[in-house]
Amino acid sequence: MNQRSIRPKGTNLSRRQFLMRSGALGAAGLTLPQLLAACGGSDGGGGGNTLFFENWPAYIDPTEDGATGTIDRFIEASGVDMTYTEAFNDNNEYFAKIQPILGRGDAIDPDLIAPTSWLAGRLIGLGWVDKLPLDQIENKKNLRDDLAKPAWDPTGEFSLPWQTGFAGIAYNIDVTGRELTSVDELFLPEFAGKVGALTEMRDTIGVILLSQGVDISKISSFDEAAPAFEKLEKAKNDGQIRRFHGNDYFDDLANGNFAATIGWSGDVAQIQLDNPAVRFLFPESGATSWADTMVMPKGAKNRDSAAKWMNFVYDPVQAAQLTAWVQYVSPVKGVREEVAKIDAELAENPLIFPDDATLANTRSFATLSDEVEAEFDAAFSKITGA
Amino acid sequence: MSKSATPTAVRRWKRPEFVGLGALVGAGALLTAIGARWVTGPVALLALALVFASVVWLIFTAVIGGPDARRRIAPYGLLKPGALWLALFYLAPLVTLLRLSLSTLPSRFAVDADFDWNFGNYRRAFADFDAQFGRAFLYAGVATVLTILIGYPLAYVIAFRGGRYRTLMLGLVVVPFFTSYLIRTIAWRSLLADTGWVVQMLDFVKLSGLFEGVGIMDNGRILQTPAAVIGGLTYNFLPFMILPIYVSLEKVDPGLVDAAQDLYSTSAGAFRKIVVPLSLPGVFAGTLLTFIPAAGDFVNAFYLGSPSTTMIGNSIQDQFLVQNNVPLASAMSFVLMAIITILVLIYSRFFGTEDLA
Repeated sequence: MNQRSIRPKGTNLSRRQFLMRSGALGAAGLTLPQLLAACGGSDGGGGGNTLFFENWPAYIDPTEDGATGTIDRFIEASGVDMTYTEAFNDNNEYFAKIQPILGRGDAIDPDLIAPTSWLAGRLIGLGWVDKLPLDQIENKKNLRDDLAKPAWDPTGEFSLPWQTGFAGIAYNIDVTGRELTSVDELFLPEFAGKVGALTEMRDTIGVILLSQGVDISKISSFDEAAPAFEKLEKAKNDGQIRRFHGNDYFDDLANGNFAATIGWSGDVAQIQLDNPAVRFLFPESGATSWADTMVMPKGAKNRDSAAKWMNFVYDPVQAAQLTAWVQYVSPVKGVREEVAKIDAELAENPLIFPDDATLANTRSFATLSDEVEAEFDAAFSKITGA
Repeated sequence: MSKSATPTAVRRWKRPEFVGLGALVGAGALLTAIGARWVTGPVALLALALVFASVVWLIFTAVIGGPDARRRIAPYGLLKPGALWLALFYLAPLVTLLRLSLSTLPSRFAVDADFDWNFGNYRRAFADFDAQFGRAFLYAGVATVLTILIGYPLAYVIAFRGGRYRTLMLGLVVVPFFTSYLIRTIAWRSLLADTGWVVQMLDFVKLSGLFEGVGIMDNGRILQTPAAVIGGLTYNFLPFMILPIYVSLEKVDPGLVDAAQDLYSTSAGAFRKIVVPLSLPGVFAGTLLTFIPAAGDFVNAFYLGSPSTTMIGNSIQDQFLVQNNVPLASAMSFVLMAIITILVLIYSRFFGTEDLA
């Protein structure tokens, strides 16, 4: 990985940093809920001049190498004392952490958290989130039209997307020896034991279902998804699937343990900077699209500061800085023009600014009812072996 | 304590050890009740006050009573810190877990489970996770045997041939422990990677065919195979085997071996009849220290294994922290505990150390 020095400005995430950070957070996460549980209560008002945002790892531009990160720019512009942590590694794990606290009606410490859309939908359904102070977020007008009233938040009052992206096939062309063209190639005997898949059930099952011609945005029962589960289970039993992974597949893909895996577009855009052999395939059969959202857990204290923050990151100029670093698809209109001013080449990257035809070929997973979701989760858990 | 507990009243206790025993059992039971949340609020505070009072009472009885009373109370006083610790941090969680394992969640994301003697959790623990249980005990068992095979000769050499390098060699056994367990396990991922030097070297010296043949490699890889998981367990628990064996070997008097040889025993015979029996307590302790944590381990299977090599620890972690099915996870934990207890009882019956001393 000697190419590190020639990476574009503002994209200096090293894998080592990333792993160390996730490791430290994993350890911290074990004790956090207990600590949080001790700090319940809410004052109901707009709160003080502080803000606590809990997000996924490597999901914001840090202050380094002369560039000022989004958090520091925000603190400077607003005077809000902001705390930012990277406690998300897996949606289910994070939910298990906050569930005993929010479920008892107590408040958790963060004012903003970043669940993926389906989890946001679950939290909204359970009534564990507060309405966003949208009247204070003027820049909400910059929200992409297709995200205005999404399936997980039909009124659009509870969530604002942080970043969006796609799950498709990530592969290492040095190992495959050729361009991949379809999802079915994941199941070829020549890649036996060198194929991965995401533990994020909706992305893994979604990509396979799309390849079987099923529209995942219209699924309402387990039977409709059964063929994908069968296909995945058979592949696992045959030893085709090497490992199911969360955010931790960069190394496996870069060093050739994986020939191909189901992965996220933005990750591949980031890995490519280190390792050009890693490619992303938008399957012709379709990719799943998802959004990580900002929601306020019930009883969050600092509503005003949260509004200021969301207003700040929905300013296209600020959002462009974020996009240039995280390499995901921004939910903010007008970002492409701003990114072009920073880095013209980046503005042409189809992984970050997909064209309309590509977008039309993506689907987001339908919202599942509690019982159906439990069925999906149990079946998926059985395949991942746990 | 009431003021009537005057010195004369206390002296009337003919059997002061009953004071000690009563205070011990009572305080332990109260602390368990507090820990398991059978009593809450003001009642819990009262119970806590009683626990405290029992300690005061014990000390008071000892101070007021004569030397004889003190001598008889002493064992209970000395047991007390440990017993209270166990009551609060072992017994209370255990009964909570047992209760949870027989409960039902009223809805999928409910926080509190309803206790309703739901034995279905245990049925599911056996029916749905038999494969994971099987793998856990198989992998832990193989790993334990491997640690004995690797650890015994090493401990033997350190104990009998170590000379002045003994301390250094023991230090080297322990040194890897200065690094975090997690880091050491993740490091194996780099070492065993498909393009890593281990696999490449095996390919280079044409041994990979042999390794495939004996089942250590699968399809040209070591990582994400049962061998990798067992290897990880063996590596991580090896010092727990070496140290107890070393301690028991170190106590063996070399003069005994000399004596055996003077009586025309061969070296091998002396080793078999003198050294091995005397070191068995170490092997026994090492086996427990290795097998029990290995059977419940999930880190090695998580990082070095595949979806087909998961152990019961992974399933319990998944049910607790991903699926939110706390009752089922509790039942699985209990089954794991029960099986380990039975295995250890059987093992100690055959290899127990009682009649070796």
